[in-house]
Amino acid sequence: MKSSSLAVGLGVLGVIFIIIAVLYAIGVLQILTSTTSGPHYKHAVLFAVLAVASFVAANFARPKTA
Amino acid sequence: MSLAQALFIGLLQGATELFPVSSLGHAVLIPSLLHWSFRQSDPSFVPFLVLLHLGTATALLILYRDQWVVIIRGFFTAAIRGQMKTDSERLAMLLLVGTIPAAVLGVFLESRIKSLFASPYEAAGFLVANGVLMLAFELLRRRAERQAALSGESRGEQEAHFATAERISFRAAALVGACQALAFLPGISRSGVTIGGGLLAGLRHQEAARFSFLLATPVILGAGVLEVPQLFSSGVPVAEYLAAAVLSGVAAYASARFLLRYFRSGRLDPYGWYCIAAGLAALALLHFSL
Repeated sequence: MKSSSLAVGLGVLGVIFIIIAVLYAIGVLQILTSTTSGPHYKHAVLFAVLAVASFVAANFARPKTA
Repeated sequence: MSLAQALFIGLLQGATELFPVSSLGHAVLIPSLLHWSFRQSDPSFVPFLVLLHLGTATALLILYRDQWVVIIRGFFTAAIRGQMKTDSERLAMLLLVGTIPAAVLGVFLESRIKSLFASPYEAAGFLVANGVLMLAFELLRRRAERQAALSGESRGEQEAHFATAERISFRAAALVGACQALAFLPGISRSGVTIGGGLLAGLRHQEAARFSFLLATPVILGAGVLEVPQLFSSGVPVAEYLAAAVLSGVAAYASARFLLRYFRSGRLDPYGWYCIAAGLAALALLHFSL
């Protein structure tokens, strides 16, 4: 499925995941964590991986020029 | 925990991590049945398990070192190009898709689920359930073989009609990956449910095992590396734990080699029957406090 709007959407999603990863890494975000203070590196790495996956998917969705 | 106990658990974990019989179930059940006094809730037990898992992941990396080089290269090539042209590029993307559900569920649910079901009784019950699952997977595979009219052929010929890991669909890869979350229940085998999921997706037994082992590597390695800082907490006998981790890695390597050879023509049934028998025996032993 190739579409510019889908590629842009996935790219934006990737940026959002990076922001969430940073917020978990510096301990600002505490949602769905086992402790309520401090950095959460597992969560940060997870969202970094999701960001990478989103950017890869965006590149796959981008219509290619011949 | 004594050195002998640490080595025994290392051997047990390495051997059972890749066999479809649940390493977590055995790690909960066997110390309890042997009346060992150490507590698995002890803070030093987590670093121990981390090292054992790193041992297993290292064994899998060594076993598939050539494939991982090709997969990683394939990942970057396909990601930059935005297109998959070779089997290794497709396999790299399948592994990414399969890893994401396991990673998401692992980060958000693992500790909650494990704390809910950490008793030996529940581990024994889930071990029986794991056995029933393995038999169900094989029942469905036999039905697929009958539908494809493969009954008269030899096992090797039957297996050749099914697909390789590179041919699995992306939806199936995500489902197989999500199946790994079931293994947070002590007694349910991660490799068992992913091999079974691979069979349902139409893979050969050996390919389902290969896909399961490849899928396991980033998850086990990632979880292990992220827990490494806990190893440096005070009072952890690192030398003993390292010896157990090496033993775990050796056992995992030997198990993987055995299973890949076994699944050329073998099925999941013996492991299913073993889990049912072991789970029922453990329930009886726990009930009568033997």
